[in-house]
Amino acid sequence: MDGILQQFARVAADPLTYARDWKARTGRRVIGLFPMHFPGELAHAAGALPVILQQDDVPITVGQSQVFSFYCGYNRSIIDQALRGEFAVLDAILFGDHCVQLLGTADVIRAEVPGLPILFNQLCSVLDADWAMTQTQGTFTQLWRELEALTGAPLPPDAVRDSIRAFNRNRALIRQLYDLRRAGKVVLTGRQMQMVVKSSMVMDKAEHTTLLEQLLATIDQSGVRGNPVRVFLSGHLCHAPRPEVLDLVEDCGGLVVDDDLYHGFRFIHADVAETGDPVEALSHWYIDRNHKVPCPTRAIKGMDWEDYLLKAVDRSGAQGLVVLMAKFCEPHMYFYPEIKEAFDRHGIPHLLIETEHEEMPLEALKTRVETFIEIARRKAAA
Amino acid sequence: MQTVMERSAASPVFGNGERANRLKSTRFGGKLVNDYWENLFAAKEQGKKVVWYNGTYIPPFFHSHDVAWVHGEAWSAMLSAKHREVTAQERGEQKGYDRELCSYARTHIGQMLIELDKVKAGTSDLHPDDPRIETMLKLPPPDMIINAYPYCSSGQQWDDITYRVFGKKVPMFTIQIPLLWGGRQDAGYMQGEEWLERSRYVADQLVAMTRFMEEHTGRKYDFDRLSETMGFVKKAAELRLEAMDLCTATPSPASFFDWIVSIAPVNFLPGDQNIVTYFEGVLAEVKERIANGEGAVKDEKYRLFFDGMMNWNKVGWLADKFAAVNACVVAGRYTHMSFWQEPQLIDLKDPVLGMAQNYLICPNNHGAPIMIGEIEKICDKFGIHGMVMHAARTCRGMTNSQFLIANSAKKHGRQSLFFEGDVADESFYKDELLNVRLEAMIEALDAQKRAA
Repeated sequence: MDGILQQFARVAADPLTYARDWKARTGRRVIGLFPMHFPGELAHAAGALPVILQQDDVPITVGQSQVFSFYCGYNRSIIDQALRGEFAVLDAILFGDHCVQLLGTADVIRAEVPGLPILFNQLCSVLDADWAMTQTQGTFTQLWRELEALTGAPLPPDAVRDSIRAFNRNRALIRQLYDLRRAGKVVLTGRQMQMVVKSSMVMDKAEHTTLLEQLLATIDQSGVRGNPVRVFLSGHLCHAPRPEVLDLVEDCGGLVVDDDLYHGFRFIHADVAETGDPVEALSHWYIDRNHKVPCPTRAIKGMDWEDYLLKAVDRSGAQGLVVLMAKFCEPHMYFYPEIKEAFDRHGIPHLLIETEHEEMPLEALKTRVETFIEIARRKAAA
Repeated sequence: MQTVMERSAASPVFGNGERANRLKSTRFGGKLVNDYWENLFAAKEQGKKVVWYNGTYIPPFFHSHDVAWVHGEAWSAMLSAKHREVTAQERGEQKGYDRELCSYARTHIGQMLIELDKVKAGTSDLHPDDPRIETMLKLPPPDMIINAYPYCSSGQQWDDITYRVFGKKVPMFTIQIPLLWGGRQDAGYMQGEEWLERSRYVADQLVAMTRFMEEHTGRKYDFDRLSETMGFVKKAAELRLEAMDLCTATPSPASFFDWIVSIAPVNFLPGDQNIVTYFEGVLAEVKERIANGEGAVKDEKYRLFFDGMMNWNKVGWLADKFAAVNACVVAGRYTHMSFWQEPQLIDLKDPVLGMAQNYLICPNNHGAPIMIGEIEKICDKFGIHGMVMHAARTCRGMTNSQFLIANSAKKHGRQSLFFEGDVADESFYKDELLNVRLEAMIEALDAQKRAA
């Protein structure tokens, strides 16, 4: 078990090195994807390695010449990586998000890495609009054509269905881990679960799935020891929170039992239909996402993030909520007050932690986390 | 907006002390803006439905259907221009909105919360200086919410919150105005497959919006009336562009700041004869100034381009600051590229498609290569020497690509400076930084001139 987790951790720590090695080994294309709602299945079916582009740990230096300090750490880091030449391994970037910061980032990459094709096909951002399904199908059809043009080969529907099956299998296995963790049968720390999910965003699907199967077969199911405070992690859209922050929650007496992080349950929560028209199946997967795990970038009228969180926290048996908010993330800044008020109303302890790419003094944070854990513990005991 | 045209008693102690020579004809706009707000405040008494909207300039659709409209940005800008935004922003902060969030949105949502507090408390014990006295106290709550934001995801999320603040009881309609990325082989300014697809897509949504309004007003939408409204809008847009084009003259008869205070008539004021009259007045004065050799700044030495969103609480201040170094800010991205820029696209017999296309060409809504190409054309046309880049702290929509714009300017031999500020949060503005950078730019331009 530890060996497999270490493999995941190595890939998660340096995704582009994995991509370079994979490319050298297979001679095939590596295609970068921007988060959070763009499917990797089509790129996979086209024979490429789809890699969700990650924030790295390197301090922003050259990137500052092209991005303001009041942009989120993910965008600043992506621009910095582009200017440092880290994306030379990529054969293309695909994305379709409407995040205003990310749109600017894509333009910087287009200017600074001119040989790198960016296949931008904007997804309908109004998921409950009458025309959302038609538009989304059009978007994926256009992407399909552009991928065929990029590879110079037709993309058969059966190949896409095979990729959908491979992705579904991978997601289902990670969801098994989530189920076991919620049930208290296995202990996977916040850091470990992040490594599982983050590596799945990068690695060859078949390889990752094989490792997941081995992990599930060997994982210790003796359950939780002691009496830690069960904690639910929420937020941190687009990029992974620093693992040290997750460690801190557990070092202070918490135990992460569930999350809706993008580098967590949000990424693997939904599957794509394996039969029928693949474009239609992918479109349903996209349009229906907010009914399962609501995203503030795609708010719909009938579903609220805070309502989902209240239910999810209850379902997981968590005793408190830690909201991880990446500084300058606008959708999260808009919706956080709704969450705060809902959890106040229900008397569930919660803590907001604002994260930054750099300059996060953990010692100062430690006191706040300790206090939160103590409050949650007393509340649970009362 | 008249409110921002009123000259502040305060003027920067800077440069040679000269002040901007603003157009007198724009004062008529102040009356129009005041009339607009007064009519809006009386909307409920007149039995009108009220729509709150954010984003692009869709009021002709409302005007033609006899519903009143509140533009969230205009409202925040007005509060900011009156230096009365702080109370609203504090209320937003109290609820939990971070100050790094769009200050338009924070001001708008904060003011909404203040009013709802009052309703809940059943009190109206307002301090005389409270901005509600002039605005929110009279502002009618929405019967409909419509969002139509080109490019900026924050704009869509802002109204997602407005919808929630009103308890999810007010019907909402959201229009997606997708980015023109310009990645296909045939892409160009107003050309290519993407342009045609997106034009039709937005036009279809606008028609769907009229059905939404029909549903919530119980009245059939009158497209003939829309054509009539657009007749005034199109004429006003043509007059505005004609007057702007005349500013290729040296000295420039009007400045960016005159065009800033002329945004309301092409953004949210009713599409009627008044906006035509407004721009006829502006055009006449511009022509008169050219005939007299009168400039918008005294002894114009340099001509600048203003990039970025306006700093609404600093309009007069900034106009005087540039005048004090004999620099005329002649054009800008916000003023010269954002409102009814292509009126010839509007077919008055069937205006919706042309309206959609004008909304789509909001400059930010183009990928950077096409947008920057258009900026360079404007800079060439107006003989621009330097770029003033307003890095508006909470406006990612307008700060995106600013480094690329500055790089492009450099390649074309133009100087550039950046200064920090914000659209509606004065606390981000640092006057002394702008002073130093502007002085440095002027010195560099002087040196360039001497060397030439």
